[in-house]
Amino acid sequence: MIYVIDHNDSFTHNVVHQLALFDKVECDNYNKVSEKKIKQASTIVFSPGPGSPKNYPITTKIYKKFKGKKKMIGICLGFQHILFCEGAKIIEQKKIYHGYQSNIQVVNNKSLFKKGKIFKVGRYHSLKLKEPFKSNNFEITMRCLNSKVAMAFENKKEKIYGFQFHPESFLTVNGNLLIKKILST
Amino acid sequence: MNKLNQLAEIHQSGKPYIIYKSQKGFNLFTNFSQKIILSKKNIKSFLNKKNRYKSKNTDLFIGFFGYELLNNLIDIKVPKQKNFNFPKGIFYKPEKKIKLSNSLRYNKKSYESGNFKININRKNYRKIFNRFKKKIKSGETYQIKICTKYKTRSKIDPLDFFSRLSSTNLAPEAFMIKDNNYSIISCSPENLITKTGSNISTKPIAGTVKKTNNLNKLKALNYFRKNIKETKEHNMIVDMERNDLSRICKVGSVKLSKQKIVEEYKDLFHYVSLISGKLKKNIKNLDIIKAMMPGGSVIGCPKISTLNLLNNQEKENRNIYTGSFGYIKFNGDMRFNIIIRSILNYKNISEISVASGVVVDSNANHEFNENFIKAKALIDLF
Repeated sequence: MIYVIDHNDSFTHNVVHQLALFDKVECDNYNKVSEKKIKQASTIVFSPGPGSPKNYPITTKIYKKFKGKKKMIGICLGFQHILFCEGAKIIEQKKIYHGYQSNIQVVNNKSLFKKGKIFKVGRYHSLKLKEPFKSNNFEITMRCLNSKVAMAFENKKEKIYGFQFHPESFLTVNGNLLIKKILST
Repeated sequence: MNKLNQLAEIHQSGKPYIIYKSQKGFNLFTNFSQKIILSKKNIKSFLNKKNRYKSKNTDLFIGFFGYELLNNLIDIKVPKQKNFNFPKGIFYKPEKKIKLSNSLRYNKKSYESGNFKININRKNYRKIFNRFKKKIKSGETYQIKICTKYKTRSKIDPLDFFSRLSSTNLAPEAFMIKDNNYSIISCSPENLITKTGSNISTKPIAGTVKKTNNLNKLKALNYFRKNIKETKEHNMIVDMERNDLSRICKVGSVKLSKQKIVEEYKDLFHYVSLISGKLKKNIKNLDIIKAMMPGGSVIGCPKISTLNLLNNQEKENRNIYTGSFGYIKFNGDMRFNIIIRSILNYKNISEISVASGVVVDSNANHEFNENFIKAKALIDLF
């Protein structure tokens, strides 16, 4: 079972529907998380949402408690949240991407995806990862083709993955394939 | 007796009635046997109540949910605001339905009104605009719609206004309510819910351009496609409406049936999408209303944090504005619009609310003027 932790977003249920193509999914608000469901889940997904990771201390606790024990996936805010817990700074960017379709590229040969491959994806983010960023086992694997902003990370060892873009958006081409590959690792 | 005479007679008799746009003309509902004034306390029982379906064309409740009530329903607080105690929502049970054609000829009656006054001037609008722009930069909202209100003292004949409005702008979700102590006149273009059996759809509008001699439908489409700001706003609304439908629909059933097409109306072009899905089993009316309302395209995105930002900013109650008008049939089918482009007349005051969106690349002056243009189409009726 996949447990989606919702951060009051208006895209979370698109994520739920996408994941539900592959497994049973449960979804609760971040302040109504059920201990029982978390224990049952094989994968925990941190949803997109407004604001910044520091606004959601409950999510930080969950991440730290289950890191390495369960597969974890972060989308948009969730992506930033995982990196934030790994000591990254999440900062405002000059150019803001809301409802924007852009090309991103796989830039790392340690990725599950083929290096050099380009994806067309939908983006909704005001904030971004401040670089340089380094943390054990974490690799930045995709970047925006134009701005080079970090768009995905993978930690294969502890099975932690994150997307700054929205694989569930109608603006993302082949988003289901991206999710399928991560879920099947 | 011909139908227009019937309309005139019902109007002159003084009894309450409602007109709602249908595909071919208008439907008139009257002879109300029940009038339910909604509040925080009774809305859930109203929506959960089972009514026996007798396959009559009046087996339905028709009316509106105000903005505050829709916030209450999804547990979002609206702080104490200036208001004139207009009901939060009202539904009627009609016993008579009459079909009318598109032309509602009605002899112009005299009316009185003062000059419209705006509740937020340009300087204050800019202040609010800049505050919200900061919230976009920090990621608390991605798009937010600032509401401004125009008000005047008035004494009007709603049917006179509605027939004149319909003759220049035959909007697909137009409606009029005439009751003893209030009236609403609306040329809403936007459908929020169409539900037939287990099929449900929503048809958000994001992007409007005025028709000119040089601008045909194809050129309008090109205009929207090239306009990055309009495109991004539209994309956001599409993903948000997909999300709201996904709350209540079967996995894999939510589809973008029409993606970013142009619809042509008498004076303008709209940039619209149609999103549809199949309802999960055991979904109740209440679940549908809570998932879909208030309609996202007139609020901003993401819905909850944006509603909170708006409610903490706005000093005056929105009343009907960005609420929903429509009907729920006894068999569960429903149709609701989003209440925009409307005049509320209550206690001899006419009130028109308008809003336009703040996204990261919008401009305060431009949006303020845009609001005025939207209001002017209605103010010009006075």
